[in-house]
Amino acid sequence: MSNTITLSPVTRIEGHLGVKVDIEAGRVARAYVAGEMFRGFEVILRGRDPLDAQHITQRICGVCPVEHGVASVLAQDMAYKVAPPDNGRIVRNLIQGANFIMSHISHFYLLSGLDFVDVAMITGYQGRDRGLLELQAWVKSQLSSRLVYPAAPFLPRYSAKYLQDQETNFGVLRHYLDALEMRANAHKMGANFAGKLPHAATLVPGGVTDKVTDLQMTKYRTQLEDLQVFINQSYLPDVVAVAGAFPEYFTLGRGCGNFLAYGVFPESADGNAKLFPAGVLLGGSLQKVDPEAITEDVGQSLFSSASGRKPFDGETVAAPDKPGAYSWLKAPRYQGEPMEVGSLARVLVGYTDGRNAALKSAVDGLLKTLGREPKDLVSIMGRHAARALECKLVADRCMQWLDQLVPDAPAFSDFTIPDSASGYGLTEAARGALGHWITIRGQKISNYQCVVPTTWNCSPRDDRSNPGPVEQALVGTPVADAENPIEVARVVRSFDPCLACAVH
Amino acid sequence: MNALSRRSFLQLSARLSALMGMSACAIPRIAEALEDLAQGSAPVLWLQGQCCSGCSVSLLDAESLTPYKLLTKYINLGFHQTLSSATGHQAVETVNKIIAQGGYVLIVEGAVPAGMPRACMFGEEPFGNQLARAARNAKAVLAVGTCAAFGGIPAAENNPTGAVGAPAYLRSQGIHVATILVPGCPCHPDWLIGTVVHLLKFGIPPLDALGRPKAYFSKSMHDQCPRFADYERERFARTFGEEGCLFKLGCLGPITKTDCNIRPWNGGTSSCIRAGAPCIGCGEQEFAAKAGFPFLTKARAAGDKEA
Repeated sequence: MSNTITLSPVTRIEGHLGVKVDIEAGRVARAYVAGEMFRGFEVILRGRDPLDAQHITQRICGVCPVEHGVASVLAQDMAYKVAPPDNGRIVRNLIQGANFIMSHISHFYLLSGLDFVDVAMITGYQGRDRGLLELQAWVKSQLSSRLVYPAAPFLPRYSAKYLQDQETNFGVLRHYLDALEMRANAHKMGANFAGKLPHAATLVPGGVTDKVTDLQMTKYRTQLEDLQVFINQSYLPDVVAVAGAFPEYFTLGRGCGNFLAYGVFPESADGNAKLFPAGVLLGGSLQKVDPEAITEDVGQSLFSSASGRKPFDGETVAAPDKPGAYSWLKAPRYQGEPMEVGSLARVLVGYTDGRNAALKSAVDGLLKTLGREPKDLVSIMGRHAARALECKLVADRCMQWLDQLVPDAPAFSDFTIPDSASGYGLTEAARGALGHWITIRGQKISNYQCVVPTTWNCSPRDDRSNPGPVEQALVGTPVADAENPIEVARVVRSFDPCLACAVH
Repeated sequence: MNALSRRSFLQLSARLSALMGMSACAIPRIAEALEDLAQGSAPVLWLQGQCCSGCSVSLLDAESLTPYKLLTKYINLGFHQTLSSATGHQAVETVNKIIAQGGYVLIVEGAVPAGMPRACMFGEEPFGNQLARAARNAKAVLAVGTCAAFGGIPAAENNPTGAVGAPAYLRSQGIHVATILVPGCPCHPDWLIGTVVHLLKFGIPPLDALGRPKAYFSKSMHDQCPRFADYERERFARTFGEEGCLFKLGCLGPITKTDCNIRPWNGGTSSCIRAGAPCIGCGEQEFAAKAGFPFLTKARAAGDKEA
């Protein structure tokens, strides 16, 4: 006998996500992950001016706008045969790096943190931290009020085993409050070069619109130093502490076992050398990324357009009533296989690639601290650990990029838009491999396709009924209490899903 | 702080009901609702339609009043999809219980897929239905961001879902409730927080003809532009990264009424025009609406250069 549990909406992710799991003998036997929203960006983009693309596509997602902007300008760089000057390339990295840092800190504390932290424990707090005492006073007054939902949005929540060690719990909770400020600071840092965040103003093909000045660099540097302190002294230690309290989560949520990274943060003029290298881990062996191997199935997606198309030939025709289809996500496949993307994919590809010595030694160091093997990283806790580690590596590298900027030197190379052209831009969002494909005819966009990180991770079944990575990761997860299926939520959130991105 | 007098409430309500095309008999009810709101902290219900969460993210970037203070001192945020602990059926129950109780400020982020209800679901319910239920019991509605206010990009030309802004959708459902539009793509956190606090402490702020708070949406970007002197001297940037007025690169400052030029983003860090990026008019009703009206007109400026 199986019993179906529906989690819809899954909150504390970005966007509209529904998950259905069939439980047999206390474990997930089958999972169905559904994107529950659609806007049709690829349809809206057709016929528009190509220079609209980096602005429009950033609005796909308010959490990862910079990355869509970067994917779009990379695709246009290729189409217009223009390469940004060093300042332009580095400024793009600094904006994208700031957004990575914002995203990872937000994810661990604001989004998944409440799956582990026990907010209710604050009523018994006896320490002297001012922030925690304020929180305690607020929670107590809320609990004694007549509000329908006191202490919202922190309560209500699933009844479950949360952090039990008081010192750890109050530490992470204190850092939740700090994280609210830190994530805003990361955006502030990026806005020095982006004009504003979210939705960066300055990204254009050929580089960026703003000038590089000493003042911007100094402000960025000061803000980055504060963030490095938070990442090193709070974020990383908190991940280690939470991992220590939930060791079973190193064995759950393994997923499909295939990993894809397009690589990100170009460090050479031709864009080929990257901080995180590109690579595919398929059946355990590392391969080069071949963009021609990417296709999108729509057999079980709410689209009537052709299935199995490569992105340059991709179509997006909505079919909201299509029988048997259950998601607004297409099902991207690499050589026909589902692929996990994200920090874990980047870290594993970089670790296996081995050329980035800082990355390799950082992974080895963290594994030693955790008392774990590399294989343990492919798990719920492994994803959180990979994200924290990557956050540190990105922050450290941002400091080096700052030193490479030349104040007042150009950050933009001019271009003209050809009558007909095409290009693709492959980069990484905090959540994983992101690609945009643009085709231009008569100086207008004739086709635009986005294959997005959470489209990979939260993909529905493909035309062969092969489930997507999160659907596979859920299978085997024990669910102790069907009324409080927190284990399912923890698996899903470990992928940091971004549904506005995924459905676009 | 001074609460508003009964007389001012009635004046505000009259203005508002005229704006919303409602009959005079609705005025006392609106006034009553506003008076209740002005008592202090209020329950807030935040619903997301066809949105990117960018306005939520922007709110979290606030410095004028930190999000933590907003949550703990000003409002009781009963539900927010990105922040709430409650998941799955707990989330559905939470929202439904708040709606049943009534008397909250409803914040809407995102457009409504009026032509394709399946294109936005909350649990088993189409977002449009949920929004209509929630608006009926709300004391006031804040349409936050350009998608919620006017439809934004989801409602742009050729869109497949028949998307519309929240006020237009509610009108089509015959629902009349005090509604304030706080557009922007994203919405500047000061605009949202300023409006929420004004609403809670004093009632509905003075609004322009579109329903936007005049405090933030009354002056043209162009008139407050740091590059205005360049415009006066006809010093125009011909391509990106150049000094000068950005008009020939497509800057929509002259037809955009937002105060970004005197209210920089991210805690006063910068703004589009300061950073050399032409204004794309993201707080206006026409934002992104027409495929043939591009954000940037680099070709035009480049043509000038050759001439």
